[in-house]
Amino acid sequence: MSEQKFTKEIIRLSDTQNTIDSIVAKLKEDVIKVLRRRGGVVGISGGIDSSVTLALAVKAFGAKNVLGVMLPEKDSSDDSKALALKLADKFGVRVVEENISGALEGFGCYQRRDEAVKRVIPEYNPQTDKMKIGIPVEFLNSNMPPVFYVTVIFADGTEKSERLPMNEYLQIVAASNFKQRSRMSMLYYHAEALHYAVIGTPNKHEVQQGFFVKYGDGGADVMPIGNLFKTQVYELARELGVPQEIIDRTPTTDTYTAEQTQEEFFYQMPFETMDLLWYGWENGFSPEEVAMGIEKDEQEISRIFKNFERKKKTTDYLRMPPIHNY
Amino acid sequence: MKDQIKTFISEITFIEKDTIADDTLLFEEGIFDSMGLLSLITFLDEELGVKTEDSDLNEENFQSINSIVAFLERKKSLVN
Repeated sequence: MSEQKFTKEIIRLSDTQNTIDSIVAKLKEDVIKVLRRRGGVVGISGGIDSSVTLALAVKAFGAKNVLGVMLPEKDSSDDSKALALKLADKFGVRVVEENISGALEGFGCYQRRDEAVKRVIPEYNPQTDKMKIGIPVEFLNSNMPPVFYVTVIFADGTEKSERLPMNEYLQIVAASNFKQRSRMSMLYYHAEALHYAVIGTPNKHEVQQGFFVKYGDGGADVMPIGNLFKTQVYELARELGVPQEIIDRTPTTDTYTAEQTQEEFFYQMPFETMDLLWYGWENGFSPEEVAMGIEKDEQEISRIFKNFERKKKTTDYLRMPPIHNY
Repeated sequence: MKDQIKTFISEITFIEKDTIADDTLLFEEGIFDSMGLLSLITFLDEELGVKTEDSDLNEENFQSINSIVAFLERKKSLVN
């Protein structure tokens, strides 16, 4: 049993301003002194994570030493640009738009993805239909490793879901990952052209649970919110003055043509619950203590803890740098 | 059939066949993850002619070699 009592408030930051100050001081030290770069490039999507990251970078380096880069492609949500511009305006940073659709066409990203979807759902027409992949929530309640399903939303609004065989699942993911990797390439172009560092935007869950693309959004020089739970990212957003529309927006994957929340795609539970459970698991609270603190079933929490353990282990590969000590 | 499954699991996981016991918990012991499970489903379909339905995807059917064999026997008895 842990000495501290587990409550719903346990992950609240005791002093948000102090957390901001300490992240900003370290960010400045890391980029200027350690990496010897003179500013930061942030890919901005109009989402909460990139918005908080940009605001922190502005505090660390000053607005004139931060560049916001919007990186839309043909599947991106229309809201993203307006929100990203509003954010850049609010914090007074320069912003450039780099549409990566052409690069993705060149890589065959859309074609390779759609080929794999069509092998599973032959009626899929990428010109008129939308698609997404996800894990059914039932897997959360079992000790089975999750398997993904593809869902096609046809032009008439009807839907069809099929379990993805291994080859098709891998091809869809590998093709889609061109998006994050193309964004990373473009961010490094701007960073190198300005002698800046790439400031990465993944939060703690994304880093720890492997919800990022290796050398894609996982490719950055520093990740200032990489140790913050989503609840804490929101706390910082309010303190930093991130526009309310961004705070109110539901986090989406913005990766597939059909709209999809991050909860639906990967986490399978609201982030408030995810934060508490991950905190409990990571800090050695027993399922019984956590169950009492958040009024949930102890057995369910045990299963979720096992899932966390498996997720952490199976995604170690993503967090590993190249092994070169031969 | 048991030996075929064990050989397959050994080949895709690079784990010595002799170290996988019939009752080893494949998921809990970290031998099998999502990719392993998907490979096994393909193997059962293509090599043994057994299709895994969505409703079959549970621990009872896949947690160990013994469970997988029992699952296959049940599926085959339904066909015959």
